[in-house]
Amino acid sequence: MGIAVGNPGIQTTVQDEGRFGYQQFGVSPAGPMDTQSFYLANILVGNKKSEGVLEMTFSGPELTFEEDNIIAVTGADMSPTVNGEPIPVYQAVLIHAGDVLAFGFASGGCRSYLAFAGGLDVPLVMGSKSTLMRNNLGGVNGRKLEKGDRIGFCAPRATLPNMELRKLRPEVFPKKELTLRVLAGPQDTEFTEEELKHFFWYGAVITNEFDRMGCRLQREVPVKHKGDGNIITDGIAFGSIQVPTNGQPIIMLADRQSTGGYTKIGTVISVDLPKLAQSVPGCRVRFVRVGIEVAQNLYIRRLEKLEGLEKTLGNKSA
Amino acid sequence: MEAKFLIAGDSAVSIQLGEEISLEVNRLVRDLYTNLTEDPVEGITEMVPTYASLMVHYRPQVIGFKRLEEEIRKRMRGREEAGSAAQLVKEIPICYGGELGPDLEDCAAYENVSVEEFIRMHSEHEYYSCMLGFAPGHAYMARFEEPFHFKRRETPRVHIPGRSIVAQLNLSNLIPFGQPCGWNIVGGTPLDICDYQKEDPFVVHAGEWVRYIPVTLREYETIRRDVERGTYKVKSYLRREDKAARDQRVVK
Repeated sequence: MGIAVGNPGIQTTVQDEGRFGYQQFGVSPAGPMDTQSFYLANILVGNKKSEGVLEMTFSGPELTFEEDNIIAVTGADMSPTVNGEPIPVYQAVLIHAGDVLAFGFASGGCRSYLAFAGGLDVPLVMGSKSTLMRNNLGGVNGRKLEKGDRIGFCAPRATLPNMELRKLRPEVFPKKELTLRVLAGPQDTEFTEEELKHFFWYGAVITNEFDRMGCRLQREVPVKHKGDGNIITDGIAFGSIQVPTNGQPIIMLADRQSTGGYTKIGTVISVDLPKLAQSVPGCRVRFVRVGIEVAQNLYIRRLEKLEGLEKTLGNKSA
Repeated sequence: MEAKFLIAGDSAVSIQLGEEISLEVNRLVRDLYTNLTEDPVEGITEMVPTYASLMVHYRPQVIGFKRLEEEIRKRMRGREEAGSAAQLVKEIPICYGGELGPDLEDCAAYENVSVEEFIRMHSEHEYYSCMLGFAPGHAYMARFEEPFHFKRRETPRVHIPGRSIVAQLNLSNLIPFGQPCGWNIVGGTPLDICDYQKEDPFVVHAGEWVRYIPVTLREYETIRRDVERGTYKVKSYLRREDKAARDQRVVK
């Protein structure tokens, strides 16, 4: 087997890169909220960077290992310990059969990613291991982990090439203020030039209504539409900023619905979404407008960096 | 109208093909979807057709926005009449009224017709599945004859069971799983609208047609047993229609 779950943590789910190809049937893609931390966790343990991991929100679980395996923890720091002794984050660590890996509460971010060498043995549903809790789909019985769950390893490892290189400097996430770069559209023309300017000029605050589906923002002055804020339903992207009739924006995240009928003023660029995924209610958000070439170049540069790291570590998937 | 390529972030583009909910515009969406399925552009990861637009998700490391737009426009010029083929109509059994359709009598009363006449109006015509969304397998379906006049209920229900069939105006949707809903429930189907265990989990796809087939509660239970055993096969037939006639029809 692999791991046995004791205390499950507040919300621990299995997530791989996401369930793609089924949005046309109304299935949300799910997948990690913070893609960057997710990729790094997998790369550190020698996996394909799309492999299934545990995403832990606010607090982490207590896991008893039934077999040796190498793990890595990235994202928010939940002070992981093995048999009570602290272990480093952003580093490949060998855990032995019988050891108890435990997590506390998150600091400096709110989501951590725990990758296991060889991945988790969870059935593929529509080609993916990702959990979509809203529809009881994927992961472990379509839900967050519960006490008593057991999850197997696919191909556990006791060693990996270049073990000494498998450590990174932990990421630091913004706490009180966050700048998100945004591409205008698809429905930016549903707002006056003046209103669009205001959107980028005035910030917003993250509210408590912030989950895997989306992040509701509060603006002192609501965004005004030219019309009533409704459109003929169209597709939604990861990071779409919906502005419903009440003028308070919602940023659509991993468990977003595949389609929707509210105007979308813009889309947060991919490389900035991890920062949002790690932020907490009360954080101030500022939007900065960028162009498509800049956004796509940043996306490609991030990917090249990850591929570079895979090569350096001698990962097979590189 | 000229197709609009609306930027939806660094990895998606929403291609808007019309400004109304109509069969004609939705056919343009289906045609483009079919063209891009048969003659794919490298880098596209998935497509999401809706009423009047096609969302294209893509990998910017394979193809940038400008070249993607060029490639898709090329394919749009190439073949504008892809969707004239015969259409598949799936037969969905429905048991009207009773516990499965608690609003049936109210609906007949709203229309000022007998329950029998209401069932005829609802089941005699074919419905077009414009798109899937909201929940896995949830089809947005419209018919083009004898629209009802009633809309949603005044107070939405917090929860309605999966496999309910709901109606308003010329629309009648299949509800895959339990969900909140403001529409009137006219009946229930013994078929699984979405079954994750199947190779194709979804009973109806976008662009297909549906005909509701009235069944008794006994027939409903028999079919349900077959569905649970995995022995039930959804029946279907082909529908033909000339282009001039279908272009006249506006969904809403």
